Amino acid sequence: MLQAITFLAAENGGINLLPDASELIWGTVAFVILLALMLKLVFPKLNETLEERGAAIQGRMEDAEAKYQEAERARADYEESLAEARGEADRIIEEAKAAADDLRNEARSRAEAEAAQIIERAQSSVASERDRVLSELRGQVGALSVELASRIVERELDASTHEALVDEYIDQLSSQN
Amino acid sequence: MLNVLAAAEWGGEFEGVLDPISALFEFPPILELELFGVDLSINRTIIIAWLGTIFIGVLFTLGARKAEVIPGKFQAFLEMIIDLNRTIALEIIGPKGTKFVPLLTTLFVTIFVLNFSKIFPLFMMPPTSRAAWPLFLALTTWLVFIGVGIKEQGFAGYFGGILFPPGVPKALYIILTPIELLSNLVLRPFTLAVRLFANMVAGHILVVITLVTIHVFLPSMPVGWMVGVFGLIAAPLVFAFELFIIGLQAYIFGMLSAVYIGSSLEAHH
Repeated sequence: MLQAITFLAAENGGINLLPDASELIWGTVAFVILLALMLKLVFPKLNETLEERGAAIQGRMEDAEAKYQEAERARADYEESLAEARGEADRIIEEAKAAADDLRNEARSRAEAEAAQIIERAQSSVASERDRVLSELRGQVGALSVELASRIVERELDASTHEALVDEYIDQLSSQN
Repeated sequence: MLNVLAAAEWGGEFEGVLDPISALFEFPPILELELFGVDLSINRTIIIAWLGTIFIGVLFTLGARKAEVIPGKFQAFLEMIIDLNRTIALEIIGPKGTKFVPLLTTLFVTIFVLNFSKIFPLFMMPPTSRAAWPLFLALTTWLVFIGVGIKEQGFAGYFGGILFPPGVPKALYIILTPIELLSNLVLRPFTLAVRLFANMVAGHILVVITLVTIHVFLPSMPVGWMVGVFGLIAAPLVFAFELFIIGLQAYIFGMLSAVYIGSSLEAHH
């Protein structure tokens, strides 16, 4: 490329390597105005914004840290409350279980007692019924024996009459029962 | 280059397109002015530079006036440019570099925008390819780093440190002092200016040659049109390459300015 420049410069009268006065002056003026604008207007405002941003970021970080600590405290409180609630719940459950056991045991013992009473009453009832039946039976057997004896005494019995009397007696017993 | 020279042989109408080459860089005055015997005429290059400078001023003033704590896209873009220069200042100069951020940003943006005129369709001419702009931009850096050196180290301290580096046998000062004088006070601004100037001149010529190649060869038959097609394909690549150079030169100028300012802040050891 440098060869090309040299060639073209030599062949066509050359490129002006010295600065043109008007370009130097106007270029410098434009640059100095731009630099002054940047120094006085642009950078102070941008730096101010950067500082605001830094302060905002710092503030938000501190705020976030405070909120984090607050959240940590709330979490600890919550966990403590939760543990207390769990303990309370366990206690209530244990109490309920104990109450249920008590109730069950009481009901069972009451039922057993009632059952025992029922059985006792039943047994007593059966026993008295049996005694009554036995007593009644005894009375009937006695009456029948007396009746049978009177019949035996009233007539001479042969073997066949004897057998018939017995059968009759049994039939009477069966019909009475 | 060879493409252009081959134009005449292959039938391309090249005569007068680049004749003379200075016509690519020099424009007649639009308004002739003279004050106290000094030529203050205004030409196309000056107008391009003014428009570029006004564009930067308006861009940054609008950005600063509407600056908000939570930036929009436009403000974020401007802050990105400033952050780039702040990074350069802090990494090269150190903590004291903060106060040079406005200068470095102004230098960077001015050079970028003026360079960009090279491929901006309405302008197609970088003012930085005229010696005046690289020269005064380099002189600005020169004045700042010498001023900073004198302010920080005192006149004798700064120039004494430059011209008579400590820890060197005194006999060597005969050789070293002229070299240091030349290196620090002449070559630094000169190389800054020439690097930017030469890159922009070469870039402008490259862009013009690419476009002229298309203009000259594309209509020519039977062979020349192929060179024109090649120029058409090459043009976007040349423009992309020039965009890279535009940014790179602005960055290098700003970075070297920071290096020179940084070296003035600390005494020679």
